[in-house]
Amino acid sequence: MISWSNFVSQLFNGLALGALLALISSGLTIIYGTLGVLNLAHGAMFMLGGYAGYVAYEASGSFIVAVIAGTLFLGIVGVLMERVVIRHFYSRPHEDQLLVTFGLAIVYVEGVRFIFSSLSKTVPPPPLFTGITSLGFMVYPTYRLAVVGIVAVALLALFLVLYRTRLGMIVRAGIEDSVMVDSLGINVDRVFMVVFGIGAMAAGFAGIVNAPVVSLTPDVGEAILVQTFVVVVIGGVGSFTGAVLGGLIAGEIISITSMFNPGYAYVMLFAAMTLVLLVRPQGLLGTRGRE
Amino acid sequence: MMRTQRPGRVELLTAIGLVLVPLILPYLGSAPNTVNRILVWGLFGIGFDILFGYTGLLSFGQSALYGTGGFVAAYLLTRAGFPYVWLALIIGMVAAAVVGYLVGLIALRRTGIYFAMITVAIAEVFYFVEFNPLSEWTGGENGLPGVPTPSLYLGFTTIHFTSGWSLYPFLAACYFIGIVVALRIVRSPVGAIFRAIRENPLRAAAVGHNIHAYKLAAFVIAAAYAGLAGGLLGVLQAFMPPEAFTFDTSGQLVIQTAIGGRGTLFGPLLGAAVWLFLQDFLQATLGLGAAWKLVLGLVFVLLVVFLRHGIIGGFVDLYRFVKRRKAPVEPREAAPSPGVADEQAAHAVAAKTAHAQPARTLHHAASDYTGPILQATGLTKHYGGVIANADIDFTVNAGELRGIIGPNGAGKSTFFKMLTCEVPPTSGKIVFEGRDITGMSVTDVCQLGLTKSYQVNQLFNRLTVRENVVIAALAELRGKFKLDMLGSVASIPGLDEQVSSTLALVNLTRRRDTPVSELAYGEKRRLEVGLALASSPALLLLDEPLAGMSPVERGETVKLLKSIAQGRTMIIIDHDMDALFELAERVTVLQEGRVLVEGTPDEIKRNAKVQEAYLGGVHGVIDVDEALA
Amino acid sequence: MRDRNSNSNNSGRREFMRTGLAVAGGLALPAGFASRVLAADQPPIGTWPAGSQGDSVFIGIAVPRTGTYAVQGEDELKGYELAVEHINEGHPLIKAISPKTKKGVLGKTVKYGVADSAAKPNDAVQAQQRFITENKAILLTGSTSSAVAVALNKLAQREKVLYVAGISGSNDTTGKDCVRYGFRQNFYGETAANALGPVLLKAFGKNKKAAFMTPDYTYGHTVTKSMNDFLTKNGGWTMVTNQVSPLGAPDYSSYLTNIANSGAEFLINVNWGHDAVLSTQQAKQFGILPKMKLVIPYQIPFLAPEVGPDVTEGVYAATDFWWTLEDKYPLAKMFVEAFQKKYNYRPEWGAENAYMEFALWAEAVEHAGTFYPPDVIKSYESPRKLNSMVGEVEWRAADHQLIRPVIIVRGKKPGDMKNKEDFWEVTEIVPGAGVMQKPDAFGCNLGAYT
Repeated sequence: MISWSNFVSQLFNGLALGALLALISSGLTIIYGTLGVLNLAHGAMFMLGGYAGYVAYEASGSFIVAVIAGTLFLGIVGVLMERVVIRHFYSRPHEDQLLVTFGLAIVYVEGVRFIFSSLSKTVPPPPLFTGITSLGFMVYPTYRLAVVGIVAVALLALFLVLYRTRLGMIVRAGIEDSVMVDSLGINVDRVFMVVFGIGAMAAGFAGIVNAPVVSLTPDVGEAILVQTFVVVVIGGVGSFTGAVLGGLIAGEIISITSMFNPGYAYVMLFAAMTLVLLVRPQGLLGTRGRE
Repeated sequence: MMRTQRPGRVELLTAIGLVLVPLILPYLGSAPNTVNRILVWGLFGIGFDILFGYTGLLSFGQSALYGTGGFVAAYLLTRAGFPYVWLALIIGMVAAAVVGYLVGLIALRRTGIYFAMITVAIAEVFYFVEFNPLSEWTGGENGLPGVPTPSLYLGFTTIHFTSGWSLYPFLAACYFIGIVVALRIVRSPVGAIFRAIRENPLRAAAVGHNIHAYKLAAFVIAAAYAGLAGGLLGVLQAFMPPEAFTFDTSGQLVIQTAIGGRGTLFGPLLGAAVWLFLQDFLQATLGLGAAWKLVLGLVFVLLVVFLRHGIIGGFVDLYRFVKRRKAPVEPREAAPSPGVADEQAAHAVAAKTAHAQPARTLHHAASDYTGPILQATGLTKHYGGVIANADIDFTVNAGELRGIIGPNGAGKSTFFKMLTCEVPPTSGKIVFEGRDITGMSVTDVCQLGLTKSYQVNQLFNRLTVRENVVIAALAELRGKFKLDMLGSVASIPGLDEQVSSTLALVNLTRRRDTPVSELAYGEKRRLEVGLALASSPALLLLDEPLAGMSPVERGETVKLLKSIAQGRTMIIIDHDMDALFELAERVTVLQEGRVLVEGTPDEIKRNAKVQEAYLGGVHGVIDVDEALA
Repeated sequence: MRDRNSNSNNSGRREFMRTGLAVAGGLALPAGFASRVLAADQPPIGTWPAGSQGDSVFIGIAVPRTGTYAVQGEDELKGYELAVEHINEGHPLIKAISPKTKKGVLGKTVKYGVADSAAKPNDAVQAQQRFITENKAILLTGSTSSAVAVALNKLAQREKVLYVAGISGSNDTTGKDCVRYGFRQNFYGETAANALGPVLLKAFGKNKKAAFMTPDYTYGHTVTKSMNDFLTKNGGWTMVTNQVSPLGAPDYSSYLTNIANSGAEFLINVNWGHDAVLSTQQAKQFGILPKMKLVIPYQIPFLAPEVGPDVTEGVYAATDFWWTLEDKYPLAKMFVEAFQKKYNYRPEWGAENAYMEFALWAEAVEHAGTFYPPDVIKSYESPRKLNSMVGEVEWRAADHQLIRPVIIVRGKKPGDMKNKEDFWEVTEIVPGAGVMQKPDAFGCNLGAYT
């Protein structure tokens, strides 16, 4: 049943979904682009952000505190993870990096399950954004609209850091050629640590911001991870703008396909990824040779 | 590592091990079903290890093939009422291999992480398809229950393999056959090429192997093993589960192989044993309840961090460490230092190499052709807005030794890359021995008799010197693709001869069994040239063969180059003009992507335009000899 | 696997010795005194007689302790554990259901082991195979997903060990995938639809538009089909859309948007476990609830506390048991009290289902007087009335499904809740016989006894 209002509603859905994916994926892509490490624990870190925020919310009753807590906690986790584990893997083959992040993902998920059990936890949206908004042709949860706005602000902040600060320039240079950056006398070690921390924070922020939308369970990161890969591939590895574009495209693919046959939505996403990989492997906005 | 020691030893040990297991393990408290499962995972992993450990292709999508083989076999045995378990398993395996071929055609168009991602996507699609559109055949969420167990009709009696220890001999036999076949594959020329692809796919292609076809072969092999293992899973459980298709299954396979040790064939078996044992142990004995997965995850992370090559790798390293402390250190070739003694040594080396002649006939594109061996016309290469080469006309006659010089940025390396067809020209034509090779692949061109040695060493780093040359020689002797998986490297006629003579030519016979990583820089450069030589090229290009060498090394290399020039045509790029002018009969000078001038070394030395190009402007002609005196 | 025994090695060897001695002893006795265990027409089958030779018998339990159904799995487990405790001590509740029980089953203590199935058939089968070979389990149980139930059905038939289902809602478990060695006591898709349908028609009338949310596996499809068939045939309802979602979908916004635009008046949510919780919560976020009325054909334990009573208010659901039945049935009262005393909360239907499966099994064995599987099966199949927490029940021999009532509940207003667990009000108790399909309607073909 394809009605005009359904179509527009789904377009909008895709935007909301896509915004979130864009944020998470930008974290993953700058980590992969700079460090060359495909962080298979990224979905788990998204989940950790949600739980950290939940704990903060239960303690303080404030959504803002929850968001800050979730983001900062992941910043710490990211930095620790990079310093203690990932750093030793830069010279090891790619597969080893995949394996260790895969293992860490299991540890995070099961650790959370051990502490919090599998019963889902909810974080209610802030009072300002509860309820539904009427958009004329449809009603839409107010908070989801807010998420688009919140994520847009976060992406803007990330953009400003990457493109308007010295640190951001170094990070982007590192994405292009970390060896060169090293030869120029910049402490690449610290850059890597910062990049991992930023990427982790993006995932954590997304996790707590998303918590009122989907309830929190230890497994919530798993599906997100695979979708994030798809976004990164479509958008182009190492490209922040690519992640944003890819996220929006992915969100729309899921929503529009759902209009016709929801069961095929995720399959279409994978088909799109495979198509991009075969036709334009560097992604829509990526640079060639980053394979 | 190629194990060329007593053949059959590994197979014998495996057989003994498999026989001993049911006699020993029950006393250690092992459940027969766990052991059976370990065997199935182990078999699944053999194929995966060939793909990942030996060929270097990390696929997260093996579950698609495991499930395909399993469901085809299970469907035949349950819904279709097929009576022969053995035959159904084989059909399942073949089906998986066919599907693997089709999947490989898509997935292998990319490499590295992208390849891995495509495999993930394909695995997810297969899972979805199994669950949903094809649920009529696959039972959807429920899977296919009621898979029967096999029986062996021996004429006078029938042996029924049911479950537990009764099923073990059947699975052990399958595993044993799987190992024997896999061992043959990795010891065959195809196995050697797999390893080459893992080490340096660029060079493997450049020495004349059709690496895409070999990768596809590895993928199909892995698919066949996966399909058979999937069928056996159904038999083992009397039920074919849809979980066979999940990403978790692929992930578990990768984890187990990493734990056990990749590139060992037995790694997956050991990894499965550790993983499944820990699973049972943590849940049962320690009574951890839901926390078992957490502990397992921690153990896995620790294993990955501390045991780089898995458990087997850990043992091998330990063994080597112990052995090295006992054995005397192998004498390395002394680093050359200036002095008369070395002059004499260099002469001795030169005298030796002068006697070593190329033993095999060279490769020609067309053996009866009499014109110039190479003719490039209008060769141009643009990279976006940058013009690397512009409209180059270049002709070399057979038997010539041509030099190419030019200031930095002249486009010399790009020119070479176009000649060997590593990069396609933007426009222009290349004719090799009368045959238009424009737009061909680097592999085909090598097979025709045109190859190159690289400016930056492109060697197979974890292989020994001898093994490196074998890879190149195999392409020369067997053509660009031959699926002799069950043959052995040793039995290729002419291989030993070709390898020995090549090693002698580059004076590396004494170092034949040393891994490349342990060679001195000069030795590596010689091996680099050796790799190109092993293809018996009629036209050999050398990209800065003298780069980074000390004066003595240079002298040696120049003499080496002179000796190998006999009977073949060579084109050399270098910056060392003294050496080049000594070697070459004619020299071409490139500047800013164009041919500046061409002539004999003397003519070039005196040419005003060349001087200007290098010095940036002169007044009058410089008498070079006078200047240098 | 919590083995109350000591090391399984020792038990294996002890079993072997005991069996050997028993055989030797039995052979020495004159035929008249030989226990039925060694009668010539009863060769060893499955784990019999080895599993019941000693002074204890072993039950293998596989429940999800991780994954999408982990919460329901833990609840189920508590029901099993309580049942075992009661059987071993000869608790009055057990005696009410199984009158011949004194202590244990046929005097033997019941021990058990627990494994995590993660709702995956593969893992469940693996674990149960271990229980069979290592511990000589004489009874298998556990499932929250019908896929697990079907897989264990087949395993039980192959290994000749009895299996009683845990939670299993698909028609197939005692339908086309039924087996001689498998039994199910709880209600399922067909009975849910036939019991709930008339209630809906009575409450809301005819010719309504309904949107369905279906999880994409056979449980989902069969329940949706049963519900839809009933409502369309008997009440002229229309299915305006059927949104099929994968198990474990993280976000239902696409599906819910389609539903919001479908013009439906009712949302019939067949999703289960955490999927039900999430889809319902998001339906509320999208304003679909309470604009449309929610219907839950197959109730989910803990749904109400997780989504909140303001969402479940006025919602009709079909279930196996709800604790307020204690007011009507004395056995239910005993159960709820005992459970609450031990676990500090009132049981959901997963726990009740687990308890009943064990209690009915104990009854069947006591009635047969032996552990010999074919005899126990015949005991199940012999027609007689049994007591349960929902009144009188009876096994249907043709497909091993218990004929038992379906409980229709409706969500209470938050203001009407008398305590923090008072989510549902029982509106009807629909007798089982009237809502079940004919025994062969779904293609059930029980297999052989041996």
